[in-house]
Amino acid sequence: MPDVSRRSLLRAAGVAGAGLLAAPALAACGTSSAAPLRSGRAQISLWTHDPDYIKTFRTAIEDVGLMRGSRFDFGLDITSSAPADIMTRMIAQAVADGNTPDLAGLNVDQFPRVMQSSIAENLFVDLTGTVRPLGDDLLKLSPYSVDGVPYGLESGNAITVLYYRQDLFDTYRVPEDLDTWEDFLEHGARLSTDHKVSVGMISTGDNGSIVNGFLQFLLQRGGGFFDAAGDLILDSPEALEVLEFMTRGVRSGALMALPDPYGSACAAALKSGRLAATAMPNWYNTAGLQANVPEQKGRWRIRTLPRFTGGGHIASTMGGTAFAVLKDKPNSEAALELLRRVYLSREGQILRYRFGGYLPTLASLYEDPELVATEDGYLGGQKAFGIYSAAAADLPLFYQAASMQILSDVLGGQILDALKGRTSPTAALKAGLKAYRQQVKR
Amino acid sequence: MTAPPPTRAPVLESLPARTPGKAAPPRTSWWMRRQRTLAPYLFISPFYLLYGLFLLVPILVGLYLSCTEWAGLGTPKWVGLRNYQDLLADHSFWTAVGNTGLYVVFTMAVVMPAALLIAQALNARGLRGRDLFRLAYFMPVVISPIVITLVFGLFFDNEFGLLNAVGHAVFGFGGIDWLGSPGWARVTVVILVLWRWTGYLTIFFLAGLQNVPKELYEAADIDGAGPVSRFRNVTLPCLRPVTAFVAVTVLVSSVQIFEEPYLLTQGGPGESTLSVAQFIFRAGFQRQQLGYAAAAGVLLFVAVFALGQLAMRVLGVGRDDR
Repeated sequence: MPDVSRRSLLRAAGVAGAGLLAAPALAACGTSSAAPLRSGRAQISLWTHDPDYIKTFRTAIEDVGLMRGSRFDFGLDITSSAPADIMTRMIAQAVADGNTPDLAGLNVDQFPRVMQSSIAENLFVDLTGTVRPLGDDLLKLSPYSVDGVPYGLESGNAITVLYYRQDLFDTYRVPEDLDTWEDFLEHGARLSTDHKVSVGMISTGDNGSIVNGFLQFLLQRGGGFFDAAGDLILDSPEALEVLEFMTRGVRSGALMALPDPYGSACAAALKSGRLAATAMPNWYNTAGLQANVPEQKGRWRIRTLPRFTGGGHIASTMGGTAFAVLKDKPNSEAALELLRRVYLSREGQILRYRFGGYLPTLASLYEDPELVATEDGYLGGQKAFGIYSAAAADLPLFYQAASMQILSDVLGGQILDALKGRTSPTAALKAGLKAYRQQVKR
Repeated sequence: MTAPPPTRAPVLESLPARTPGKAAPPRTSWWMRRQRTLAPYLFISPFYLLYGLFLLVPILVGLYLSCTEWAGLGTPKWVGLRNYQDLLADHSFWTAVGNTGLYVVFTMAVVMPAALLIAQALNARGLRGRDLFRLAYFMPVVISPIVITLVFGLFFDNEFGLLNAVGHAVFGFGGIDWLGSPGWARVTVVILVLWRWTGYLTIFFLAGLQNVPKELYEAADIDGAGPVSRFRNVTLPCLRPVTAFVAVTVLVSSVQIFEEPYLLTQGGPGESTLSVAQFIFRAGFQRQQLGYAAAAGVLLFVAVFALGQLAMRVLGVGRDDR
């Protein structure tokens, strides 16, 4: 028997290492041997970034009325993580050992990551059959659909309305019912010159925030980044009009340029009363205003957005979170039922509104007497559903595509340059589109 | 195929006959001899196993992935060297390379000398509150990155930032768009790097300074050397090993810079502060272009390795000058 050489030992160690690494990878390629759960105790593994979802689902599974007639006795294993990490870990787990969650909350800006290479199709349960009975009553499926197939159910519509300080509007004589953005900016420019007060904000921080701000207005104007087929439609007169509107607003001071609409500078602007209005989603009430300026309770109100003279909608929509069910898992059927009960029933939607402030995604619920009668203490007792109802009826459709992140990266800097006056809106959009086309060629 | 081992004569038969009065050598079995041969390798094998598992295998997998197109799920599609070709034509990649180069040059040219000068000051005899200074300089390394982001974000904000407010109050200028202008955003990242790492490097230099023999300074004093001459002719030569170590580690880590631009500007405005490590992160974990990210990772690895080797040769790390 020959002596073992150093070289052969090292080689053997390398092979052993590769074998150890390959074993779980090969194991992950196999199908799960566990049988699907049809009834009984269902311990659902839930991944989310928001404590309010945890509270909502925990309350929901204890709600006898909501769970009546279910074949399952639900329990929850919660994993809390940052939105981007949820997606990254979920894909990594799917590759590694299949230990993915049963139910996952996906941020709207993370969803494009699963829109390529059939990832959504391989990971998530197709919800077509689940949502079909609801027809047009179910709002906002489009951002979470791939090739027309929905894979996630939106939690709260994220309807963008105009928040405004009624006391400051009274003081500075700004009419609350200004019809168009043009009129609104005119008053804003006056307020900025005379009192250093702005009537809106534009994000100038990271690319995501900059582009989201632009997209929000673009959707309201009737434009968008992509159509239902995933084709780019940014090269449009609406896009130019919106960017010119934003640029004009920033230059006149009507729109305040802030790095982060949820950051410390924005809180300072709110506290100092330098921000008298802002177009933001419904959840900004709790996450932005009540969190930063609780002392301004009763001074804020909401209304639908002023229109663009050229047309469009009276509201917009952006960020949100959709829940998706992971497919081919023992708990897939149970998780789908839990999601259906909490997200697609009247009781579930009202429970979500009460616990997390998530607006219903069923259009019919905006006429629900119980919700319509709800008064918002922070908004001076305003019956906000009157506004949300009108907004939900005119909500633009928002489509995403796999290359959404690339577009965001290349467009952010260009939009910022236009807002800062370093380039023209036309040149900015042109440069952004050129860079996008170069990068998506890959 | 392995060739069969050559036939040998039986060992025991070839031994000379026993001499009376002398103790016979202990008889060793094949298994005992084998154990004796294997034992050292077994003792050191955990290192090689882990080295292979966590270093060699990932590198090889990374190399393979860099020649594929893969979104994370499904089978990677072999594309050969196309990812490398695309990288070389990618404007964003070159922006990231340029920014990273700027961070490296700044770290080597400003942060390191600043750390050395602070260490020299802290090493002065009779300095009161030395530990307090050391704490103050070391503190940035241990502060949570989230806190740093929040504080720096507000500190450098164009509208509500402390820096602009002070600038306006004291000098009367209108303020700088620290985070919104591409040029100033780079400066801001560089300031963050300076603030964060100078104190950390100071600790290394301070340790080195405390090992410089006092006799050398006394001899220099007798020769009439002034402070600058003492620093140039005594301190710097004695600190050469520490300087070389710091330079190599700083070079290697600053080529891989990620945290500072990611936290402060997310690589923006636009891509003006994007680093190569961020470019890789973005491709892999925001765009699901894992093959492309792996190709950029391989290039970064080659660059770090080459620069590290170059620095070690130039600075004479591991070379015995005696």
